[in-house]
Amino acid sequence: MTRRPTLLVGLLFLAACGQEQQDPVLTSELTTPVDVTLHWRPEPGAAGQVVEYANAADGEYTVLEFAPPGKTTYKHPDLIPETQFYYRVRPVNGPATATVDITLPPGEEVPETDGHEWAEPRKGGGGTHPVASPEAVPGALKAEVKHANGILFTWEDHASDEEGYLIELKPAGAADYRVAAQLEPDVTSFGLITLPDEKIASCRVRAFRFGASSNLTQQRTGKV
Amino acid sequence: MSKRLRIVAGIAAATGLLVAGSPAQAQVETGPWTSYSPSFTVQERGCGTVDNLTFQLTCSTASGDQRAERRYATYSGGTRQFEGSFRITSLGGTRVSLKQTFREGPTAGPFWMLAVERGGRLYAVHGGDTIATGATVGTTVRVNTVHNTATEHRTYINGSRKHTYASSGTSFYDKFGAYRTSSGQGPATVVWSNIRFWRK
Repeated sequence: MTRRPTLLVGLLFLAACGQEQQDPVLTSELTTPVDVTLHWRPEPGAAGQVVEYANAADGEYTVLEFAPPGKTTYKHPDLIPETQFYYRVRPVNGPATATVDITLPPGEEVPETDGHEWAEPRKGGGGTHPVASPEAVPGALKAEVKHANGILFTWEDHASDEEGYLIELKPAGAADYRVAAQLEPDVTSFGLITLPDEKIASCRVRAFRFGASSNLTQQRTGKV
Repeated sequence: MSKRLRIVAGIAAATGLLVAGSPAQAQVETGPWTSYSPSFTVQERGCGTVDNLTFQLTCSTASGDQRAERRYATYSGGTRQFEGSFRITSLGGTRVSLKQTFREGPTAGPFWMLAVERGGRLYAVHGGDTIATGATVGTTVRVNTVHNTATEHRTYINGSRKHTYASSGTSFYDKFGAYRTSSGQGPATVVWSNIRFWRK
């Protein structure tokens, strides 16, 4: 008589495992012996996904990409052969400021006398709203052009539980914003040094928290 | 580990799918490798300062010897692997070398150098090949170098092979930190972590 409940629990467990395997958030395929392609189902409403890898399931995970919300795939190419790779994705949540457009002077000239002290991240802190709340949006964003490659961003911290701030930038002609800097919690000032294709760009600042990790997926690369 | 991950890991372990492994046991590339801990000296020149694994060039001077580095012990022959992660926390300057493999006599000098250019382009100093873009300030980047001293030096950035360089010779050593290249300048602050060495 006691076997039936045990059997039922076992069947439910197997069904749950099957469900997990049939519909995982993240899947991977080894497209060549040393190329892995990831596919994921983005979390609705998230500001994007962070794609991470490690060489052990419980190892130190390293960011491969901050993927914009509409992106659902990532190719990790030319991998270390005969090595285990583990992957996960995590949603990036949190409100961003309105955008600010910047235009930098032409050229690469940066005066040697500029020690870039203005660029160091500085903390203000004092926010009181959880990142999940719209009131956590950073306030009073300003973007000041300092020289041909440098923009000083300043803003107010309104968030109480942020994991940090992201500087997001969309160069003229680009389809999406990309993360140009990941900063610590409570930071309210940072000087971004730009890439050559970022002379004309739209910028914003986001208070963020990472959401729950997806399932892990793993691949072992082959010989080359 | 999140609750969901713990559940997935628990199921995997119960079904025998979880490969035994911890960060210390993770191996990359064909082994077997033997872990070892070479000694090092700290080098501070010019406006370079070292605080444990934080390396800083505090000036924007575009001349002279500006460096903040760890210089590891010389290795001779065989195959060596270096693994480490760096995070650029600020970069006002450009062309700052982060990791080098040096050759010792009779043709002593920099054999391979990974550097970062203004805005985050990683490149090989010799030849100028782009190794990766978007060494985003604040984001950790993992570096693995595998050096068969008799044949080649391979560089992996975030797991992907980005550079291969022919090698011959016997005596080399690893350096990392922040170092002004001949055409570069600070300031820069770089934090390294998870430094490991193997040989076979």
